[in-house]
Amino acid sequence: MPPPTTTMPATATSAVPSRRHDAAPVAAAVEFDRVSKSFGAHRVLIELDLSVRPGEKVTLIGPSGSGKTTVLRLAMTLEAPTSGDIRIFGESLRVDAQGRPRSQQDEARIRRRCGMVFQQFNLFPHLTVVQNLMLAPRTVLKWSVDQCRAAAIEHLRLVGLESKVDAYPAQLSGGQQQRIAIARALVLRPEVLLLDEITSALDPELAGEVLDVVRDVAHETRVTLLIVTHEMRFAREVSDRIVVFEAGRIVEQGEPQKIFTAPDSERTRAFLQSVLSH
Amino acid sequence: MSWDWAYVVKILPDLLLGVWYTVLVTLASAAIALTGGLLIAVFQDTTNAAGKAIVRFFLELFRGVPILVLLYFGYYVLPEIRISLPAFGLGVGVLGIVYAAFCSEVYRGSLITIPRGMRDACVALGLSPYTTWVHVLIPMMVRKAAPALMNYVLMLFRQSSFLFAIGVPVLLGRAQVVGYESFRYLEPFTMAGVFYLAINLPFVYLLSRFETKRA
Repeated sequence: MPPPTTTMPATATSAVPSRRHDAAPVAAAVEFDRVSKSFGAHRVLIELDLSVRPGEKVTLIGPSGSGKTTVLRLAMTLEAPTSGDIRIFGESLRVDAQGRPRSQQDEARIRRRCGMVFQQFNLFPHLTVVQNLMLAPRTVLKWSVDQCRAAAIEHLRLVGLESKVDAYPAQLSGGQQQRIAIARALVLRPEVLLLDEITSALDPELAGEVLDVVRDVAHETRVTLLIVTHEMRFAREVSDRIVVFEAGRIVEQGEPQKIFTAPDSERTRAFLQSVLSH
Repeated sequence: MSWDWAYVVKILPDLLLGVWYTVLVTLASAAIALTGGLLIAVFQDTTNAAGKAIVRFFLELFRGVPILVLLYFGYYVLPEIRISLPAFGLGVGVLGIVYAAFCSEVYRGSLITIPRGMRDACVALGLSPYTTWVHVLIPMMVRKAAPALMNYVLMLFRQSSFLFAIGVPVLLGRAQVVGYESFRYLEPFTMAGVFYLAINLPFVYLLSRFETKRA
């Protein structure tokens, strides 16, 4: 594994340019193929087909309980689909090329191409900020301590929190914790970053600082972003494509300009009206 | 019945030997209890239903049967099937295992309170199960469980007196022996009580300070 760079994270140099909608000669970064997910009798996703190109920024919107978060959790293998298949850069999470079930190590290898940031930050409270950032590179990527520390500081700088290296999460504001969580996800150089309602637990002013960081990531790197958010202005600004969910199905998808100004679906229009009126 | 300071001075070396054994038993059995309890809790969380049922059976056994019964069983019954254990080792083992059963419940309780999101974050970071346990879950479990575990160590310290029943010269045992050797029980048992209290109180104070700090 090469040492971390000292300028921009490696996520900036990989994948293909964003805002390309023509067919790319590479596999989709994330692909859902007729994926259904049920929790008991409750069907959360129903035969979902969704393909996200490398470098694309896709935002999932829709009412609460419509299945948006489940999409991210399935892509991160935090949940297993009830049926269907999910592919990360063409590799099925379920079976290998010979159709055999994936081993745990193999699944972990594929999963490593993705990173995720959660609504509740999920920083490890007993570790300092820098230790939170160093744990995965040290134990998963087997970088040296110096490499891990350099990468951690570089990413803390990216989110504007290099001064908080030795602070514990409890000593930080919610917005700072979430920025640390973003840095922690980016330090592993994911090719796909899944952002699950990352500002929902924050006050508006703290949410702003987190969204600024994501804007920078979206504009300055080519990491594929799959975002779940209720921040419509933010979604419109950073997304290449908006996907509208309702009751476990995609209602409509398209470029932000079209979805927000002239949606085809009456349900999309109703949802946007209800969200934007608040 | 009058207090005899000269007699106290005379029996002091015997009682201090008892203190030494009591501390030794407490430290050794606490090490077994704290480590064993942690391993049981981790095993319970990671094993299948059959494994859980087996662990549950042994936990109920060791929590449900009085310590004295286990000590007597090990000391008097096991030799009949040609298993002879030294009294000290047997006593430490029984106390350690019994308290491991109690401590495992404390660890398990603290594990339950760790938000699911922590495990999700470990998966998202690609941490192996070993790293997840060693670097994330166990440190969090231990921190949450520490006050309750300290209470169990204090209880263990007091219940080390049971080992007198199988001949381990713990403090209570030494007090009993010097008592019936001279037919004077006031000073030995009073001093034993004072020693138990004197060793216990600093721990109680530290525990209360720790809990206040966490509150």
